[in-house]
Amino acid sequence: MVTITVNGVRREIQAPNDTPLLYVLRNDLELSGPQFGCGLSQCGSCSVLLDGKEIRSCVTPLSAALGKEVTTLEGLPARWAQQKGLSKVEAEKTLHPIQQAWIEEQTPLCGFCQNGMMIKATELLERNTTPTVAEIKEAFTTSGPSAHLCRCGSYTSIIEAVQRAAQVMAKAR
Amino acid sequence: MATPNEKTVNVFGATLTRRQLMTAGGALFVGFGVVGAAVVKKSVKAVGARNTLDATLPGSWIEIHPDNTILMRTGKSDFGQGTTFTAYRQIVAEELNAPFEAITTVVMGDTDRTPDGSGAFDFLGRGTPNIRKAAAYTYQALLDLASQRLGVPKSQISAKDGVVSGGGKSMSYGELVKGQQLKLTIPVSGDLTSLMGLTVTGNPPMKPVSEYSIVGKSFRNTVTTSKVTAREKWATDVRLPNMLHGRMVHPKTLGSKLVSAGELDKSRFPNAQIVVKGNLVGVVAPTEWEAVRAAQQVASATKWTDWKGLPGSANLFQHLRESADWKTTPVKKSDKTRGEVAPAMAEAAKKLTATYELPFMKHAPIGPTMALADARPDGTVYIYTHNQNPQALRGEIAQMLGTTTDNIVVRSYSGPGHYGRSNGGNAGAEDEAVLLSKAVGRPVRVQWMRPEDFQWSTQSPAAFSDVEIGLDANGKMVAYQVDHYMPAMQDDRPVGAVLAGLPTMAAPNEKADFIGSTANDISDPWVYDGVAILMERGHGTFQVGQKASPLAIGLRDHSMRTPGQFQQNFPRELAISEAAALAKADAIQFRIDHAREERVIGVLKAVREASGWETRSSPRAYPALNDAAALRGRGVSLMFRSGTYWACVCEIAVTPGTGAIAVEKYTIAVDPGIVVNPMQLKRQVEGGAVMGISHALLEEATFDESGITTRDWLTYPILKMADVPEIKVVLLNRPEVGSYGGGSEAANALAAPAIAAALFDATGKIARRLPLKPQYVQALLKA
Repeated sequence: MVTITVNGVRREIQAPNDTPLLYVLRNDLELSGPQFGCGLSQCGSCSVLLDGKEIRSCVTPLSAALGKEVTTLEGLPARWAQQKGLSKVEAEKTLHPIQQAWIEEQTPLCGFCQNGMMIKATELLERNTTPTVAEIKEAFTTSGPSAHLCRCGSYTSIIEAVQRAAQVMAKAR
Repeated sequence: MATPNEKTVNVFGATLTRRQLMTAGGALFVGFGVVGAAVVKKSVKAVGARNTLDATLPGSWIEIHPDNTILMRTGKSDFGQGTTFTAYRQIVAEELNAPFEAITTVVMGDTDRTPDGSGAFDFLGRGTPNIRKAAAYTYQALLDLASQRLGVPKSQISAKDGVVSGGGKSMSYGELVKGQQLKLTIPVSGDLTSLMGLTVTGNPPMKPVSEYSIVGKSFRNTVTTSKVTAREKWATDVRLPNMLHGRMVHPKTLGSKLVSAGELDKSRFPNAQIVVKGNLVGVVAPTEWEAVRAAQQVASATKWTDWKGLPGSANLFQHLRESADWKTTPVKKSDKTRGEVAPAMAEAAKKLTATYELPFMKHAPIGPTMALADARPDGTVYIYTHNQNPQALRGEIAQMLGTTTDNIVVRSYSGPGHYGRSNGGNAGAEDEAVLLSKAVGRPVRVQWMRPEDFQWSTQSPAAFSDVEIGLDANGKMVAYQVDHYMPAMQDDRPVGAVLAGLPTMAAPNEKADFIGSTANDISDPWVYDGVAILMERGHGTFQVGQKASPLAIGLRDHSMRTPGQFQQNFPRELAISEAAALAKADAIQFRIDHAREERVIGVLKAVREASGWETRSSPRAYPALNDAAALRGRGVSLMFRSGTYWACVCEIAVTPGTGAIAVEKYTIAVDPGIVVNPMQLKRQVEGGAVMGISHALLEEATFDESGITTRDWLTYPILKMADVPEIKVVLLNRPEVGSYGGGSEAANALAAPAIAAALFDATGKIARRLPLKPQYVQALLKA
């Protein structure tokens, strides 16, 4: 039995240490944000934040998460609320500006990859509040273990949603 | 206790029966319910009614509740088009004269809970989706009901925002149905578990387009919100008590038979279990990680026969041309074929003769196929998955198990886009999950791994076309002849059933009618009606390796976005651009000059204007090729598909030294007739545009003599965000057309001929084979 912290909550896990974190998140913790896309760290569908850095949970063993903070798509609203110092009541009504932008831009097509896209966007906007289109493209293409792939071809609307979220987040600062 | 007081009204061929319920405690039967439809049902292939809604009943499609909320059901499941949650809702609300927001629930793609079948394609393409007619019948019934209740002739009843008015009185739809048992029977025809499912027939009056107030607005997709906030229940999230995780051990090659299954190392995997049935090998375990590792261990110890029966991708087109059997399957001709080609070609002032080639391509869903199956002791089977045609899957599973369809239930959930791969009922994992569940007596969730999804799934068939165009002395096309060659496009046999040696539909053959046929239909409607002489022939054959494989598998094909039409439109549109160059004409004006249909001309003019196209012939006056300096060019393409006219302009930069092509700007004009939801359509078109650029530049499923060698995103790269151009979408809303055209495919096919034409414009070199990978382009430019 090991304990990991996911979305701010300590969770006890009964699984071998080499179990991919993705299977732990999906099967043991019943989180539905990260998806199994390739199991090879080639697509980004399974992305989560590990201490704020985007990683591929499909190839990250459970042991690598010990002592670190895992944030999944489910945890984005609370992450934003904490960063903004929102009250608990406010926090419960709040989406992360990235999620809100994804809705306003009607970004997902099938939506299977969008978990990783929003996680990548979070990592990007937390370190670069005003990314250019070139920087957004770089972040989603070359900054991580692999490019984040969208088979439906929603890249244009992802870029638009990141720009929208950046504006909202900048205003909230 | 209800005392029936029955009245019957004929509603445009549908039958409305009304019973007043004397309800004591306020128990309400809601909506529209059952009545016998003996005449109608004769035309509907019987399917066990045990878990199927009666499609003759509007109540099966649409329920109007006393609280004024509305529920709608459709057999079509959403694969990212969003249509069932946006356009369908808008269309239903429009026909019912109810607010969009009143439709609070959409049920889709559950074989026991939705009325019609068919696949996740052609949502709007035939102009009148089933749900529109069902709503139109329901609306007429509501008016009849209002007439009775308000005591005013039907002609004097009006309805707006879910409220009927007449004779100075008003009543909401909820009040209208409250406390009544209403039965309306509507006519349907077809076969529920076939590819096309059931069709609502008859001609109920439909709302005039001029009165539309809901269709045409950009309503949001509610499912988008649940997906973005991680509240959506995906197929991948479904869990059942006592469930096991399954992984498959697929054969070594596409023609290998099992020699011996590897022994499971129980010391390492104490809870795992191996399942063998014929050539089907699978492993189950309580945890997913144990199933994955145990399957790997079993795979490493499993012995298969060798097989080398494929030509290998390097020899594909030589094989297709010289060795494939094009004689057994009848040749198809387009219905626009006219005139005598040979004399016209003999007299032509200029001629183009060329061959075009397209590779096998993968649908490549971003998530590999998975399904959870529960084969229960009573003989029923429940399948929880993500499938484009749940009713067809139901039929295939029943056939595999030798049972009746009423024993099979398929429930649909969200999942990755399939782009056609499962529109015939299966994507790969469904039947295997059923067989594993049956073998171990527990629910089993089968998840294919990424390499399996590339190597054991179907693909879009390769094709080649021979084109001949004759021009007269004025540069006018006088004759066009094409011979399209393509192996069978749709193999819906569930692969697990084939491996296990269980019953399936026949392998593609020349005798099959439509689905499973080796025939190559003309799928790209001819749009240049100014050409006097036309010959379009489609030649079909068996799938590559199908006859040679001891498993009768080979390279299994399946329709993919714009199926068959992509394979035929690429040669046509590139050839037309080449013909324009021969005539020293501008490629858009040349098309306009040979078109007669106003909408064809309209969409070309729209894309010309929106792209800032400079009228001139191709190739441009390009400088001498220099390795480092990028050359720029532009190209155009045109297509008519599913009621929609499309034209696209691609502007590219090519670097001769590397052969790399960058698409810098992509402009597309779309005329679907009525635009139902501009925002959703725009997003669909942008997505299709990106997929199309990916097809054109990158995509080819490679294979050796034994199987598919494409196995992951490194060996099958798709377009990445950095390579996405500026995309401009022009929507031409034409309410006067009176029908809705499709919008979720076709964009994927337009890029390739436009990019190849742009390469020609930039360099004077013609690339007649896809994909336009750097190595190919580089060699072409050096030649």
